[in-house]
Amino acid sequence: MIFLLATILLQLLAFVLQEYSPGFAMAHYASIMLPILFFFVASVAVPYPMMLVLAFITGLLWDARHLPTPPQIIGPSAENLSSGVIALPELAATGHLPLGASILIFAALGAMLQGVRPQFNRGRIELPVLMIGLATALWLAAEYLLHALIRGSIPVPYGVLTKWVTNTLLAMLCAPALLLIVHAMAAFFHYEIRNDGLRQPPP
Amino acid sequence: MTKFNLLATLIFAGLALGLISMGAGVTRRIQSGVMAALSPFIRSSAATERQLSQLGEPQPDLPSLKRRIVELEMELDRHRILSQKYVQVLGENNQLREMVNFRRMSPLKLTAARVLKRVSSTWWSSMIIDKGALDGLATDTPVLNAQGLIGKTGKMAPHMAEVILLTDEMCRVSARIEGTLEKGILAGERAGVDIKPDLRLSFLSRSAIIPPGSPVLTTGEGGIFPPGVMIGRVKRFEIKDVSAEAVIEPAVDFSQLDHVFVLEQTLEAPGTPQTATSPQPPTPPAPKALPVDLSEIQTQPKPPTNGEGPAR
Repeated sequence: MIFLLATILLQLLAFVLQEYSPGFAMAHYASIMLPILFFFVASVAVPYPMMLVLAFITGLLWDARHLPTPPQIIGPSAENLSSGVIALPELAATGHLPLGASILIFAALGAMLQGVRPQFNRGRIELPVLMIGLATALWLAAEYLLHALIRGSIPVPYGVLTKWVTNTLLAMLCAPALLLIVHAMAAFFHYEIRNDGLRQPPP
Repeated sequence: MTKFNLLATLIFAGLALGLISMGAGVTRRIQSGVMAALSPFIRSSAATERQLSQLGEPQPDLPSLKRRIVELEMELDRHRILSQKYVQVLGENNQLREMVNFRRMSPLKLTAARVLKRVSSTWWSSMIIDKGALDGLATDTPVLNAQGLIGKTGKMAPHMAEVILLTDEMCRVSARIEGTLEKGILAGERAGVDIKPDLRLSFLSRSAIIPPGSPVLTTGEGGIFPPGVMIGRVKRFEIKDVSAEAVIEPAVDFSQLDHVFVLEQTLEAPGTPQTATSPQPPTPPAPKALPVDLSEIQTQPKPPTNGEGPAR
């Protein structure tokens, strides 16, 4: 229980530390996305319901901090039509990701990472690191594609690819350290990393 | 799946879908709350970055600093005189507008702000400035500097605001090409990853003749940005299936931004003649920001020269 509470606190701390994480201008401001990385690391250690709690916290805070503000038209729709506000392109609603969209993506990827808990329990981090890299790449791609789906076009400039690959590699580079910290923390709090899976327990 | 896991999944899905379906107003409040909570750390990280970047820089000597102060004081005096002249001309302009029952020009109010840091987000291009809601700023307010348009304000904290850069696809501007009748919608590129990316002015006429180098200015008809603000210059003109697009090189170097100005939204002065029979100029309906003419203070776009002096 203490381990789970400590995980939530560390997740919140990751959001604070993210503000100190510099962006690499040469790689189109790619950076170590610490909250995302910590969520993926924690997902290989915590039980399924706890993973969902972390997915909710991470998705909500990440979207609140990083998604652009949605356009807000003043007044009801009919009034907008009559006043001509809808014809103002700078104020008219454009396709944007809703706040909380990342929560569902995090939950799906977190569920995928739950499968490597036995490896992590044995102290092996090779497969978890690879899976965390894959999850990071999938999350970035999913967010970009969702954005493209809403906008109705999928331009993939070279800069997007550079940033995507750099972010993924940075996540994989930092994942071992975080995995070892979480593993040590679990040992310290006498928390057993179990692989219950999604199966029904035997009667 | 155990019953507990199933219950957890259902509760999670309900909460997530509830959050996603929230309106723009609630979303903005949540985003502002999170930004306000993180603002001490954002400010602290910006200060740390600045100190680290100044470590290797040579320190200026005292005489050169004094010289610089004198130069800046002279420059300030010059701008004070120009500002007084501007207020005087604006007053005269409003008197003339009243005589023909036109709407009064709003007084221009610019709030200077320092750029704290560039945000390293995933697919959005933004930066943070050190002025916020308690300094009189509001969301969707134009941000500019002497070179031209920079973007618009987004999330607000009490003394901090996020600026969505012009290079981002989310920032759309109603723009016109100087010297032509062409108007269109200008937007940045998806993800806005490049430091100085090209902007795209869409919905132009396919038959338009647009020479490269033509200045691009805001029209003031889009609802947020005032007319006459420099955006950039036409790089090339591309004819598409239905309409045409112009590729614009931005006037502002987004990698070199230290200080910006936020154009505060000022309400129309009281006592404006608004009679049913009075002739109104063809001003657009602007619910949030009244148009103000920046042509008086903006650096006027100069036509491309071929090295010759001005015609006499």
